[in-house]
Amino acid sequence: MGRPQLIRWAVIAALLLFTLFGLPQLFSLYYIDSLTQVAVYSMVTLALGVLVGRVGLISLGQVAVLAIGAWVAARLLFATTQPYPLVLLEAGLVTMVAGTAIGLPALRLRGLYLALITLMLAGAITVVLATVNFPNGGHGFTGYNGALINIPPIRRPSVAGADPAYFRYSVLIAALMFLLVLAHIRTRPGRAWAAIRQSEPAALAAGINTWLYKLWAFALASFITGVAGGVLAGAVHYLYSIDFPTQDSIILLAVVLMGGAYSLWGAVVAALLYQFLPALLNNWGVSADWLTILFGLGVLQVLTTAPAGLADQVPKDLARLGRLLLRLRRPPAPRVPSQGGTA
Amino acid sequence: MPPWPDFEPFIVSGLALGGVYALSGVGLVVLYRATGVLYLAFGAVGAMGALIAWSLTQAGAPGWTGWLACVAFAAAVTLGYGVVFGPALAARGPLVKAVATIGLTLVLYGLMDLLWTTSGGEARSITLPTDNSGFVVGQVQVNWTQVIALAAGVVITVATGAFLRYTKLGTAMRAMANDREITATLGVPVRRVEAAAWLGCGVLAGIAGLLLADLVALDATTLTFLVISSLAAVLIARLRSIALTFAAAIAVGLLHDLLTPITSVTNYRDMTPFVIAAVGLLVLSRHRVMAQSREEA
Repeated sequence: MGRPQLIRWAVIAALLLFTLFGLPQLFSLYYIDSLTQVAVYSMVTLALGVLVGRVGLISLGQVAVLAIGAWVAARLLFATTQPYPLVLLEAGLVTMVAGTAIGLPALRLRGLYLALITLMLAGAITVVLATVNFPNGGHGFTGYNGALINIPPIRRPSVAGADPAYFRYSVLIAALMFLLVLAHIRTRPGRAWAAIRQSEPAALAAGINTWLYKLWAFALASFITGVAGGVLAGAVHYLYSIDFPTQDSIILLAVVLMGGAYSLWGAVVAALLYQFLPALLNNWGVSADWLTILFGLGVLQVLTTAPAGLADQVPKDLARLGRLLLRLRRPPAPRVPSQGGTA
Repeated sequence: MPPWPDFEPFIVSGLALGGVYALSGVGLVVLYRATGVLYLAFGAVGAMGALIAWSLTQAGAPGWTGWLACVAFAAAVTLGYGVVFGPALAARGPLVKAVATIGLTLVLYGLMDLLWTTSGGEARSITLPTDNSGFVVGQVQVNWTQVIALAAGVVITVATGAFLRYTKLGTAMRAMANDREITATLGVPVRRVEAAAWLGCGVLAGIAGLLLADLVALDATTLTFLVISSLAAVLIARLRSIALTFAAAIAVGLLHDLLTPITSVTNYRDMTPFVIAAVGLLVLSRHRVMAQSREEA
């Protein structure tokens, strides 16, 4: 490991430690809750980023996948006394199977058609969920009893009952998911995905099993989104199908493109845009509609001028700004003497 | 299974809905063939046009000014978007072009929520003068708006087919659908033909918005995302054939409404477009991978 890399990991570790122990001290419960959502949605945007940025598959149905994960986790949490991490793992695996089963036929399609069929399937899943409802402690397969009062909350892990503790828990799970993706990107699947993204025929010609690796990406993304659904279930305590509208999948894609689909930091930026910014604006009394408009303009801006998103653009712009400031402070020597005294 | 007479009114409403889907679908297909853009903001511009029409009527303006404003707004926004962002994204793949229109959708959606706030619980509606008069077929009341909706779908489909086949502009559009570069070298003013396609699609978006606001509901979210139902029809036609688009649109509208009286599945009827599109696409793509790489590049 070279020195720059060492520094990089040290910075990441410091950031993570600050997030875990510093942030809960600094912010009120309102923001802690919102930051928990950021942790949850950073996993969702991470998964979508893998699909969009690494493999070049656009999915317009990730919110439906998240809903499946949340549903499975809620059902298991009500039905069993299993430890929370086990439930998360199971929710992730069930969602992975479901997502792969959906992805399997859809992978025959490419590009625009794939994006649209995921939108259609997400719409169908949303309708089913609206009719089946989320478990609320009832019996039977669906676990829904139609009760409107005395609904038991979805439980949290015993070590993370309070909001700050659950925030730390969510961040740790999210960090694990980021490591999982990093492990994929650095190894064989990551290289195969990069080849597929560049050109599928070329990848095929290079002997890459494109079908397998595309399905693998779908499975990984579904797993991570499913785990995120499990964390979400504990975070909000009560789940309703209206919290997962189909159009949110579209907004999610917009923020992922804005944040930057090609870097892992982009996922964090996207989640902050998607969950923290609304909380901030809400606290300031600004309508969330401005945010929707901003996201729309952001998508247009990113697609026309900055394809790598904010995570790529902002550091570059900052560097440019830094160079500009430096030049202003120390004006180039040769020009000054002839005129003199310009202060 | 309920008795047959229960279904009859739903045949009428289903056909009307299918007519509007067909009109929207034809607009989407023609624009896609001519410019390579799948215009996902189709529902949003129509919705905003309908809300503007509503506001004008509330302010006391005569109804027809509202309808004109609705169509003019949708046409202007669509043309404006096409002129500004069309050339900028012309070299990108269809996926990027489609996602960019999601940007426009979000901007319009945010504006609608901001200007016509929904939290007040105020129910809005647009009534066309054709709502109150009609005739009776068998035992079913049919109003003229429903007739207009279906007729508009048929007329637009036939007229567009003839336009593409027999006029110079239509031939130019078909040529561009085949190959933009070669068409340009043949001396066709590519930008102007594209602008014409954008304008036509915008006009159809306005008409569809107005009709759907009357037939379904005047609600920003509903109307914005109702485009997904037309998309289902367009997808079955694989963004190609307008005749197939028409048939699929009628099927989607009809099936959706016919499921309403069947109690066991009525809750699932909103799945109709999604399921039809998904099954249709998968069956159609069984033998070959769709979207050739050149189209995607």
